[in-house]
Amino acid sequence: MKTKKLVFTAILTALALVAFSIEAAIPPITPIYGIKLGIANVFTLFALYTLGPYEAAAVLFVRITLGSIFTGQAVSFIYSLSGGLLSFILMLILKRFFQKDKVWVLSVLCAIAHNVGQIIAAVIITQTFQIAFYLPVLLISGIIAGAFTGLCVQFTLLHLKRFVN
Amino acid sequence: MKNRFWIIIFSAVLIISAGLWILISNLSLSANIVGIYQNNRLIKKIDLNSVTEPYEITISGEAGKNIVQVSNGHIKMKSAQCPDKICVNHGELISNTSPIVCLPNKIVIKFENSSENIDVKTGVK
Repeated sequence: MKTKKLVFTAILTALALVAFSIEAAIPPITPIYGIKLGIANVFTLFALYTLGPYEAAAVLFVRITLGSIFTGQAVSFIYSLSGGLLSFILMLILKRFFQKDKVWVLSVLCAIAHNVGQIIAAVIITQTFQIAFYLPVLLISGIIAGAFTGLCVQFTLLHLKRFVN
Repeated sequence: MKNRFWIIIFSAVLIISAGLWILISNLSLSANIVGIYQNNRLIKKIDLNSVTEPYEITISGEAGKNIVQVSNGHIKMKSAQCPDKICVNHGELISNTSPIVCLPNKIVIKFENSSENIDVKTGVK
């Protein structure tokens, strides 16, 4: 069983990394800075629901580290890490309250936490508090992107029921 | 809890955020500070957002007098005694990248906002 879990974690990490790299290669859809879908988070959430918290943490942090190396953005590593850390902590705390039919709610809350974490990092790095006024924009994008990725996980869990357990 | 409950909550947050966004983008958060320089020395600093009554400033130099007109949010060179009047034809000061310049009298009018002097931001989050 241990080997099976390890292999699943590795596959999900690789998939998350592929999704992250492809998304980074696509030019931004909106002219607003900092908005993206975050498809890679689908795999983190999926790992959390099918494998467990440790495996989900592995998927998330290996993806952030390797993804920053592959895309070559040193600054984005700090932003991704701060956002990822905050959203992952929230994910662990709130997971018990949301069953498999409410994954999208958890996903939206985590997306919001992710964006708040990024704003905090940006305020600390640039020393300008004015960035916090950017929060409403990121709140909107977080809700939409979070609902999308959450629904992706929800439907995947539904259709892979036989496969994952 | 029902899906409907969460949809209503998130929609409410969405609408409030959109409202806040519009509010914030209409508010001018940074002071609109303009500096007038002559011979490379700052001779006057004006916060365009705190101007209530329009007024004029007269600056004299080697090539005669220049009259600067200041009103709420706007600044322009109203008249100049030099022959080519490039500064008058420039119109209002709108951008950091194109200050109002009067070469004969060595006058430059430009924005002072230090944090918004960036032309373009690059990078990926």
